[in-house]
Amino acid sequence: MSSGALLSATGVTRRFGGIIAVDGVDLHVREGEFLSVIGPNGAGKTTLFNLISGQDRMDEGRVMLEGRDITNLSPRRMAEAGVARTFQHGRVFGNLSVMDNVLIGCHTRLRAARPRVPVVAPVLEILRALIRPASVRAEEAAMREEVRAIVATFGERLTPRLDEPTYALSYANRRRVEIARALALHPRILILDEPTAGMNESETVEMRDIVDALKRQGRTILLIEHKLDMVMRLSDRVMAMDNGRVIAEGTPAAVRDDPKVIEAYLGHATIGGGEPAEASLMPGTSRAAGGVQ
Amino acid sequence: MGSILSLPWFDFTVSGVVIGSIYALMAVGLALIFGVANLINFAHGAVFTVGAYVGWVCAVALGLPLWATVPLVALGGGLVGAGIEYIAIRPLNRQSRIAPLLATIGVGLILDQIVHILFGANPRALPVPMPGWRVSVGQGSIGPIDITIFVTAVIAAAALYAFLFRTRLGMAVRATAQDEDAAKQMGVNIHAVNMAVFAIAGALGAIAGLLVGIYYNAIDPNTSFQIMLKGMVAIVIGGMANVPGAIGGGVILGLIESYGIALFGASYRNLFAFAVLLLMLLVKPNGLFAKGREREAEPMTGTFVIQSMPVRPPGWLLALGVAAAALVPLAGQPYLTQVMTNAFLYALAAISLTLIAGTVGLVSIGHAALLAIGAYASALLTIAGLPVALGLVAAAAITALLGTALAYPAFRLRGHYVAIGTLAIGEIVSLVILNWTSLTNGSMGVFGIPPLTLFGVDFFSTNPSYWLVLGLVVVFALLQTRLLSSHLGRTWRAIREDTVAAETYGVGSNYYKGLAYGFAGFTAGLAGAVTAHQFSYINFDTFNLLTSVLILTIVILGGLGNVTGAIVAAVLVAGLPEMFRVLAEYRMLFYGAALLLLIRFRPRGLLGSG
Amino acid sequence: MKPLLEIEKINSFYGPVQVHFDVSMSVPEKAIVCLLGGNASGKSTTMKAILGLQAPRSGRILLEGRDITGWPTPRIVRAGISTVPEARRLFGGMSVRENLLMGAYARDDRGEVAADLDRVLALFPRLGERLGQKAGTMSGGEQQMVAMARALMGRPKLICMDEPTMGLSPLFVDRVLELIATVNGTGVSVFMVEQNASMALRIADYGYVLRTGRIVLEGPAKQLLADPRIRGAYLGENVA
Repeated sequence: MSSGALLSATGVTRRFGGIIAVDGVDLHVREGEFLSVIGPNGAGKTTLFNLISGQDRMDEGRVMLEGRDITNLSPRRMAEAGVARTFQHGRVFGNLSVMDNVLIGCHTRLRAARPRVPVVAPVLEILRALIRPASVRAEEAAMREEVRAIVATFGERLTPRLDEPTYALSYANRRRVEIARALALHPRILILDEPTAGMNESETVEMRDIVDALKRQGRTILLIEHKLDMVMRLSDRVMAMDNGRVIAEGTPAAVRDDPKVIEAYLGHATIGGGEPAEASLMPGTSRAAGGVQ
Repeated sequence: MGSILSLPWFDFTVSGVVIGSIYALMAVGLALIFGVANLINFAHGAVFTVGAYVGWVCAVALGLPLWATVPLVALGGGLVGAGIEYIAIRPLNRQSRIAPLLATIGVGLILDQIVHILFGANPRALPVPMPGWRVSVGQGSIGPIDITIFVTAVIAAAALYAFLFRTRLGMAVRATAQDEDAAKQMGVNIHAVNMAVFAIAGALGAIAGLLVGIYYNAIDPNTSFQIMLKGMVAIVIGGMANVPGAIGGGVILGLIESYGIALFGASYRNLFAFAVLLLMLLVKPNGLFAKGREREAEPMTGTFVIQSMPVRPPGWLLALGVAAAALVPLAGQPYLTQVMTNAFLYALAAISLTLIAGTVGLVSIGHAALLAIGAYASALLTIAGLPVALGLVAAAAITALLGTALAYPAFRLRGHYVAIGTLAIGEIVSLVILNWTSLTNGSMGVFGIPPLTLFGVDFFSTNPSYWLVLGLVVVFALLQTRLLSSHLGRTWRAIREDTVAAETYGVGSNYYKGLAYGFAGFTAGLAGAVTAHQFSYINFDTFNLLTSVLILTIVILGGLGNVTGAIVAAVLVAGLPEMFRVLAEYRMLFYGAALLLLIRFRPRGLLGSG
Repeated sequence: MKPLLEIEKINSFYGPVQVHFDVSMSVPEKAIVCLLGGNASGKSTTMKAILGLQAPRSGRILLEGRDITGWPTPRIVRAGISTVPEARRLFGGMSVRENLLMGAYARDDRGEVAADLDRVLALFPRLGERLGQKAGTMSGGEQQMVAMARALMGRPKLICMDEPTMGLSPLFVDRVLELIATVNGTGVSVFMVEQNASMALRIADYGYVLRTGRIVLEGPAKQLLADPRIRGAYLGENVA
């Protein structure tokens, strides 16, 4: 399996004090595959993603991207290797415009940012920014054009707000900016950490469609998501974690019905599983009409 | 060898412990405040000074005995401490992490100025009658003053421990320091706890002021910042919020200083303090007792700079403003022109600091060091024979390089530590200038700096000098604005907003902080160099901590990162007071009040942060 | 049963994110009520709203019929609501005894605190042997005991518990259940926020299920335990 994998992590382990947050996890994603990681709070999902994308350093384990060892590279090197991620609660640059936020995503490709000459590079970079020869201007114009194209994939959500600071955007729009910024990196693998967190139902549906469109483009995607409807609908494969370990892996339906997964979420696998009929919810016995909406 | 061994080591140890116990009193208060309020109280030194003068009033003016003076000093310091909490800290409600720190700087300036107004700027004697005996111990001796100070400090520390461990409020203070949210859920009134802590810290700081006055038989209204910094060094050694650690840190610092003086001489005293501080920040930036690596919380968005849209004045208005400024000398009032020249020099410095503190988010309290480097570089090079024009450019380049290299250790610091680190770097630069006599002429300063003559043209008389400085301001404002509209501008601001997210997208934050420091260093170095040629005399104190604070005030007033704002604010802060005698006389009061009111009511500054 | 605590149609926000949508629930006197839900369902924010740590933007919270919405936390604590916070939040550097005394911090009847300390120690004899130990050095289960005893020291009418079993080994989970029953046995109502539904419903009288900020299911605990819809609320609907 790992032979055909675009990204493969093996034996990933991270300890915080006495607690093992991630305990020997293996994760393999093929090119163009959509893999979701689920699990209850504190299962170690975000820690795992932080380790894979370089935000945190693993104590043991190895990560390979396209045959290249990227274990414990700095976030910056990870970005240069083609790993792009979004953050659980959204980390846009609040005082920057939508355009500037997404342009930061282009940074690894920006030639103006990396003059080839050593030693005097800093001086050159400042001088180029001041003088702006035609090549620099052309590059900047091309990137802006590309940003407009990326942003346009979100319909009319962001395009009219390109020059607004992102702190003025709705929460859902900030998450869109984050995804646009990740796409601007031209990532080999896209890591999405709860893209629908804090969104209402209609926004969630919209985000699901956006992620679905990304999938259709053939992108390789790693997703953490608590809204399991979305996970079930989009994933090629699902991996469930609990207490830092992988407890189930397979097709969405198989993982969903796995007793170990149900137990991890609800405590016991037997819950809600056809107890005697007299215990079912009778109309009138409950004070209010609850029920699934 | 013989000479080192024959030094009176016992006496140096005694004086180290005595001074160290006073530092410990200062440090304990800072540590308590850092524990419950997560704040470095820069007004703590002013409380020390207030304590010294309350002590003078009681012991000398009223002739009270020491046993009555100490409690009255504690009471006075406690009231001032509580007042600081109530006036400067509570209303801010933690709007951003750096705001309360800046507010305490403002309060400190105000308190210092009040002491100046009431008691004058000159030191006074604080004679306390003491018996004349001394106890000989080996080669050295201990006198009644040593014992009095040490015993008073121990009693004060014991009283603090009794409060913390024997009273209900003390228990709440400790609980709040450990976990504020949990304490709140137990029904603790956090405001009351904060005020109690500021009051206690104030009382201890005031007693420290009295004790230092007794020790040297002199009180000086100009030592607030120095002594506060000593307390800060002590808590960095001891581990910020660690109260016993602060006591240990204070005594360690006292001994290091005392032995350092023994070996190298008195002028090195402060250099040791700051070298220790910098070393601690580099090796153990979170204190000796910090835990291992932990998870970092994810912020929603960058919360450092207040979210605001900068005001963008139209081009014609800016051009009109420059034209009006160019006409100032035609008013025929040389004093006005000189004041405005000075204001525009501050504007040049503020443009450079607004890039570092505003655009990149490294709030530096040591910016004067860049001016000093530029001033000394140009002064020394031109005295050695370099033409002034070349001297200015060389000085700017040297400042860019040296400033970036010196600030580099601070790049990886966060939050309050940036403020502490830059402050320490600034003080070290000043102290190196003071002590590197062969190069800088030490405390005598540098005389006979050539006047501003560029390519044979006179720029030293009032009007040409003004136009030169105005021209530099316009040129560098334009250059910086152009940089801000390039990829560098967005990259710098992205680093400020969220360094982690920026790194995640491939931005090397240290490299770009370095670029900003380089450009800002060039500008600041030039400002310092021009100043040196205008003054024709500079010394280690020409660009001091007050200069740094003033430039920072200007930058905040203008709006962090706002170039136009920095220039307008420089005219208001550095120019306006000089035109009104009353304001000039109470300059520090004016600066302090301006800082305090700004942070309280308009943290985004006049023209908005960019 | 008379309602002790009533939550009426609260809408809470975390920054720009709406966390509660017209959430209503009630806790009767002397009852154990649990609030269940998966990740990010808004459970913990409900706790914060009750304790005044994060006031809802609209809606009311009533304690014994009195509107306590918007009160500062110390006043709410004084009115009779104690808490066992998520992850316990003990004062780790302080002794067990001091932790317990902190639980009584808000009380005005200082004279009776000593007697209550004895009473609480009779309930949790293990703690009596360890009064001088630093709370941070205890095991997870013991810490949970301290947290519950600390909550009782406030002489509350209601104790709010935020995920009392989180991070505990299965062995300790049963112990914590007993502790909660013990606490409830003293006549105090318990409002418990839990992810572990089967555990919570075993001891609760009534349960609510929260999903992305809305109450989607409620009922007597025994009925909920068997209701297949509870799975859906956690794991999502069947995807056809």
